[in-house]
Amino acid sequence: MSLLDVKLNTECVVKDIISDDEKTSLRLMELGVLVGSKIIVKNKSSFKKTLLVFFNSTCFTIKDEIAKSIMVNYV
Amino acid sequence: MYKVLIIGNPNVGKSTLFNSLTKSNEHTGNFHGVTVEEKRKTITVENKKVEFIDTPGIYSMNTFSFEEEVSKNMILSTADLRIFLADANCLRRNLYLAVQMQELGLNFKLLINNYDYFLKQGNSIEIDKINKYFDAEIINAKNIKLKEKNKNLKKIGKKQQKNCEISLNFENFNKNLTNFSKAPDYLNKFINLVKTKYNLPSEKIIKAFNGIFNDLNIEQIEFIKSLNPQIVSARYSYIDEILFTAVHTKKDYVYGASRVDKFLLKPYILFPAFLLFFFLSIYIIFFAVGPLISDFLILVLNKIIITPILNFLYSTTSNIWLIEFFKNGVFSSINTVLSFLPQVCLLFVFLTLLEDSGLIARLSFIMDDFLSLFGLNGKSIYIILMGLGCNTMSTVASRNADNQNLKIKTALINPYISCMARLPVYVITASAFFGAKAYFVVVGLYLLGLATALTMALILNKTILKNKTSNLMLEFPALRGIDVKHICTVSKINAKDFVSRVFGVVLSVGIIVWILTHTTFSLSYTEIVTDSILYFFAEKLAFLFAPIGLNSAGIVTALIVGIMAKELIVSTLSISNNVASNTALIASLTVATSVVHFNTASAVSFLVFTLLYCPCVSNLAVLKREVGTFYMWFAIISQLTTAYLISFIFYQGITNGIIYPIITIVVATIILLAVIYIIKKVKHPKCLTCNKCRK
Repeated sequence: MSLLDVKLNTECVVKDIISDDEKTSLRLMELGVLVGSKIIVKNKSSFKKTLLVFFNSTCFTIKDEIAKSIMVNYV
Repeated sequence: MYKVLIIGNPNVGKSTLFNSLTKSNEHTGNFHGVTVEEKRKTITVENKKVEFIDTPGIYSMNTFSFEEEVSKNMILSTADLRIFLADANCLRRNLYLAVQMQELGLNFKLLINNYDYFLKQGNSIEIDKINKYFDAEIINAKNIKLKEKNKNLKKIGKKQQKNCEISLNFENFNKNLTNFSKAPDYLNKFINLVKTKYNLPSEKIIKAFNGIFNDLNIEQIEFIKSLNPQIVSARYSYIDEILFTAVHTKKDYVYGASRVDKFLLKPYILFPAFLLFFFLSIYIIFFAVGPLISDFLILVLNKIIITPILNFLYSTTSNIWLIEFFKNGVFSSINTVLSFLPQVCLLFVFLTLLEDSGLIARLSFIMDDFLSLFGLNGKSIYIILMGLGCNTMSTVASRNADNQNLKIKTALINPYISCMARLPVYVITASAFFGAKAYFVVVGLYLLGLATALTMALILNKTILKNKTSNLMLEFPALRGIDVKHICTVSKINAKDFVSRVFGVVLSVGIIVWILTHTTFSLSYTEIVTDSILYFFAEKLAFLFAPIGLNSAGIVTALIVGIMAKELIVSTLSISNNVASNTALIASLTVATSVVHFNTASAVSFLVFTLLYCPCVSNLAVLKREVGTFYMWFAIISQLTTAYLISFIFYQGITNGIIYPIITIVVATIILLAVIYIIKKVKHPKCLTCNKCRK
């Protein structure tokens, strides 16, 4: 499942990043979204187009376009 | 001269450190991307000239935005000392860039900031263990100062001391980008992997691992890029090795989002709260506290400076020209604009409150969905709010946009947001014609500016600046308490800037306008403004403004002069009407015998035109620099057209008694479109994953 489908405040582990956009994938990895790293969705915006995500000791807002390319598993 | 660079991730306190070290007052804030261009200041330390450079925040050498590119170039340039500032709360991520710099052989001093907050949450850092890998110290960016004697940094152990010191040790610092001997072990296997395929020197390969692809062909670049996921993992493993025993963090520690956010981040809580805050701020600034302080300021100014000088002139000369020049030319310009100084300071107090608290990042998050309808993103809310202060500053801030189209779009819509320079026009004109309802007129103008900006963004998004996907990835800062000292500093900076503009542009242009409005073609003095040179030329242009009810030479003059700086509009009105105070100006605007006077319809038209017409000269210069000459002219023409069109609707609507039906139709259309959009969303709740809807 992608990050878009996970429940709020539930710890997940990154399984894969399947983005076509090479630059965005690299930036995600460099910020700490690595395969095997933990990730939690803390909040979603009104139309769920933006997620507030916690990873690598920081919270980031991430657009749905990017979130759908982050494949995760529940811990 | 020595060069010191301050480098680091966004929002770690680089500008705060720069201000502390150089005793400057650069803009700082609790938001990603406050600094978008490098800032420099040279000071003398121990008889040496040292130039400090504050760079925009950067996460990685593989850059993602314009300001990161600026920082990357600065990092790679020769420097006598590089200060790498990291936040204790997200040290792991911050060290990623530090490790990249280490790979490139770039020396730096690692300073760890925000430790007090980290410590308060029950976490700690053993700095000695980090020192095995980096030249690191814990500091407090707010209270750091330069050590006069060339000693090492003070050790501050577990507790962050209130005042710490830093020494500039240039002697042991490697200036050049040549020291590749320290490339960490984890990188060697990747270097060898590339070498087995291509005959490239290690230096070139390491540079390519960090996004510097000089003299490499596409095949080589693609191969090196394919190694990126493994290299990133290897870097993080190395960082984990450094931090494993050095950093002790509570198991459930979350930096950024707090428990309050669970409540705050609901759109029906934060957005209405923000609107309430905004309307209340306008009321306090312009109609409650602001005018009281203004009256006091004018009283003091008149008593201490203006009246004694005028009394001196009356007693020493009978030259009417000289007396009138000082009374209505010099003092009138200063008086009318300077009386708004308290309002400007208060406006910045409210804006700084929003920025410092971390609320702007939260607003960005909840507003992102709404703003994306117009081809903008959540970050645009920062530019909009900055625009309330100064459009020129916020045009520069458009640099933190993710892509070129978004940058141009935000730069072009930004002048529609009502800046502080326009507020004297609103308050004076609205007070003259709407009395107690002036507050609602001012609020209405702010909302009209915002609505026009969003409409323009939508039009640009559908036509010449179609949006590429805007990937909002915004770091969420922690909520912070009120820092009274910082708020006072920001208000002081802006007050200084406002006063310098009053005494620079407003006074000089005001004097020229006064001379031109009191000199005839035979170069003799005239008290009758209608006989003056300026009036003659302005009258020739006035017919153009007849359809919007502004066909008076005095108004045309004020609008033309206002292009230099919007603050000049009110002072020009005062000069035209020969009045020396705001109260007298308000009274004169309603009198039909005054050179500049309005009726209700033309007053509204004037307010709307002032709100929307051409950006000021300084904003145009920044627009040209940031988005080019074409878009600068586009801004001028589109804003003049929009201003004319909307003023025309208001003027003709009020004159012909059809303004209420027009407003009703516009509002009803907006509500209808909003309802259709919401119904569409409710009908397709899974739109986000449904490809049909996405298309």
